[in-house]
Amino acid sequence: MLQGWIQIVLTLLIVVAITPFFGRYMARVFLGQHTILDPVAIPLERSIYGLSGVRSQENMTGWQYARAVLYSNLAMLVFIYLIFMFQGILPFNPTGLSAPSWDLALHTAISFVTNTNQQHYSGETTFSYFSQFAALGFMMFTSAATGIAVAIAFIRGLTGRPLGNFYVDLVQSITRILLPISIVGAIVLIAAGMPETLAGPAIVPTLEDPGISQAIARGPVAHYEIIKELGENGGGFFGINSAHPFENPNGFTNLIELVAILSIPTSLIITYGMFANNLKQAWLVFSIPFAILVVFIIITAIGEYQGNPAVNALLGGQAPNLEGKEVRFGWAQSALFAVFTTASMCGAVNSLHDSFMPNGGFVTLSNMFLQIVFGGQGTGTAYLFAYLILAVFVTGLMVGRTPEFLGRKIEKREVVLASFLILLVHPIAILIPTALTLAIPGVSGISNPGFHGLSQVVYEYASAAANNGSGFEGLGDATLWWNLSTSFSLLAGRYIPIVALLLLADSMSRKQPVPATAGTLRTDTGLFTGVTAGVILILGALTFFPALALGPVAEAFQIINGIG
Amino acid sequence: MKTRNSSSPATSSRPIRVPGGRRGDRNHTPKADRKGLYQRAIRESFVKLNPRVAVRNPVMFVVWLGTIVTLLVTINPNLFGTVQADVGQQRLLNGIITFILFFTVLFANFAEAVAEGRGKAQADALRSTRSDTIAHKLLPDGKIQEVNSTELRRGDQVKVVAGDMIPADGDVIQGIGSVDESAITGESAPVLKQPGTDIASSVTGGTRLLSDELIVRITSDPGQGFIDRMISLVEGAERSKTPNEIALTVLLAVLTQVFLIVVATTPSISGYIAGFLDSVVGAATGNSLRAGTSIAILISLLVALIPTTIGGLLSAIGIAGMDRVAQFNVIATSGRAVEACGDVNTLVLDKTGTITLGNRLADEFIPVNGHSVQEVANIV
Repeated sequence: MLQGWIQIVLTLLIVVAITPFFGRYMARVFLGQHTILDPVAIPLERSIYGLSGVRSQENMTGWQYARAVLYSNLAMLVFIYLIFMFQGILPFNPTGLSAPSWDLALHTAISFVTNTNQQHYSGETTFSYFSQFAALGFMMFTSAATGIAVAIAFIRGLTGRPLGNFYVDLVQSITRILLPISIVGAIVLIAAGMPETLAGPAIVPTLEDPGISQAIARGPVAHYEIIKELGENGGGFFGINSAHPFENPNGFTNLIELVAILSIPTSLIITYGMFANNLKQAWLVFSIPFAILVVFIIITAIGEYQGNPAVNALLGGQAPNLEGKEVRFGWAQSALFAVFTTASMCGAVNSLHDSFMPNGGFVTLSNMFLQIVFGGQGTGTAYLFAYLILAVFVTGLMVGRTPEFLGRKIEKREVVLASFLILLVHPIAILIPTALTLAIPGVSGISNPGFHGLSQVVYEYASAAANNGSGFEGLGDATLWWNLSTSFSLLAGRYIPIVALLLLADSMSRKQPVPATAGTLRTDTGLFTGVTAGVILILGALTFFPALALGPVAEAFQIINGIG
Repeated sequence: MKTRNSSSPATSSRPIRVPGGRRGDRNHTPKADRKGLYQRAIRESFVKLNPRVAVRNPVMFVVWLGTIVTLLVTINPNLFGTVQADVGQQRLLNGIITFILFFTVLFANFAEAVAEGRGKAQADALRSTRSDTIAHKLLPDGKIQEVNSTELRRGDQVKVVAGDMIPADGDVIQGIGSVDESAITGESAPVLKQPGTDIASSVTGGTRLLSDELIVRITSDPGQGFIDRMISLVEGAERSKTPNEIALTVLLAVLTQVFLIVVATTPSISGYIAGFLDSVVGAATGNSLRAGTSIAILISLLVALIPTTIGGLLSAIGIAGMDRVAQFNVIATSGRAVEACGDVNTLVLDKTGTITLGNRLADEFIPVNGHSVQEVANIV
């Protein structure tokens, strides 16, 4: 038991230790200051701007930035959809895979464009190597970079700067952050035992009977793997994702993947601190999701460590719940991975969330409902500050002054955008499709009826709407209904908030700053941080409490009482 | 040694007029008349049930709609699909819910009406002081008749002596005198008024003549003077929502929509669970849980979830703010003005006192070079 807790604590320490350095580095990149990668990156970026005709000095307004995001994402969506549909005649297809069904291809394309990587398929038997690296691998960089760009534009707006240029932010996110780390990371992962090859599946005789041969799927995994975690993508090369021995061979690769998952969302908060010139506030804000994360890890880990009472009764003693887990990771690293991956909207899995105790179901769902426990690539940080704006508004009214954040007044427009994007979009994209799926007979595909089945359905839509992409699994989700309804959640959960965030940032940046006085509500105090945490929990969690109560909570009581 | 000048008027050679009196007594406006306030508020709270008025407060409007629906299912419990429970019992439950919801709406209206009523009472009190002024009307035969200032008509001539209030707007046609116009212009130095010039000949009702005598020809009928127009401005000011109130209403409306979605999706989710429980538990016991969720129960769940308390009292809070400042003799023309005061960091005044009293006020005399307080007071 002690070993498991030490693994958890050490991983958290590494994540926190990296945060300030990485956060400062990203701030330097986007503030246009000198960084060590300048000699390589500047010529590369110049040639990209030259070829694409981007005027890199031009600042965009909120609408222009949002339009740039939408149009570029739409273009990429069409591009990868075409690759999927024509993969049969495209190169690098050693297993001779033909095009998937139109709805699966559409869902996959949308899911990868939105940085979700929800997969209703198994990679090794559905997509060719070309589709994997040219379409999916390409989207893993660009969708992650889109998220970072939006977050940076949002931070610029909050701190009163012009929003910047989307194309420049997109390119710089890739050339200076995602690509360099991915290159180094992929080499380390290859050294740690991950395959990276264009050769087809290995045909080997089985140990059982040398006469029988077995095909072992492989491919260019290592470079795919690192961006999968770093970019909060989570779409596995193989069907079982990071539980596959080629995607995650040992404890060392598991540690790298865990750290990569949380590094960008945590560091972006420090980046904000550098932009706002207020690192104290950044660390206080950082403490909110970090505290929630630690509590969630403890809840999940205790549940997995104690195991299933029904199984324990049969064993005649207490044993960790190892159903659906890789023994090389055990209960601690599996629980940690499950919490990290749903907290950060990565969606990679190294164990089956379906098999977790209800504690795990509760935590993974809550992570996706809240969306700010570090949250998705860039968007999580932006959501966190949108909550902060709402908290400023609520507390500002209590002290009887027009609420201000960073010297800018919070007025109707800001409240509309912040409350709309945080409070309204998420329930629409999760609860309405859930209710429809349960009401229409024969579409749900639930494999495990009851409270757990409800969790399966809610999880699928929460994962789509929060752009997480992990699956509770156990759900027959490769159907037309699931592909299309989750596509709706994916698009609504991604683009409505992004547009609202950019408009919010735009309107904040246009405001005349008011100098801080003795009467100004200070936002960098422990008290205000506590209030913000309260606002987040009340506004964010209350909405989904019925779903949680009838899902994991009811299931926990069911297991405790030994029913069903 | 410090002496409040107002505390020793008897020792001075001439009475010192202190505009405000002692700090504690400076309550110009009499207390508002609170009689009939609650009766009026109760009547108002029913008038406010009019949908066109109610829709201005989205949260309470949702509650009001819910009340109508529960009333319908009280009359006919099977209106939206049959219920399995005993109809009589169901009707009783729906009736109780209807009553509670209706009371909630009514109470929110009542709170708003009371707050509004207090503001109106304050304006009435203000008007009553104004009409107290006695004017010395100059009759055509040269006699002087004492009339109430509200009885003056355009063209009447009045005589004003030093220390009198000028009863209404008019032109000076005879005499020269200095007038204290600080109540209107904020200028505390007296202004010299004499006939024949455009600016210097017109005087405003409510200002005070400080020296000499004037004959004034009244130029406005009652209810059209400068002060009257100010009062009507205060009264007639549409109670517009303040910016923060609008923003808060938006937040509350969004929360209401969120919980509307939560409640609307509940029957489907709980129906699925009930179906499951029926197959597991119900099969053994013979009881069915699929009773169908009652619409009245869903509405009460919704009302419990949405921010009803703050939604119901929000407008009352704004009006209460205006009423509160009115108790300090400050007339707030709108809640917006009260709210803006909350954001004031620094108050810049052109000269001491004009903003509080409309005139200078000696708070304390500090004699120097061995002079007594008495001497200083006499000079001033």
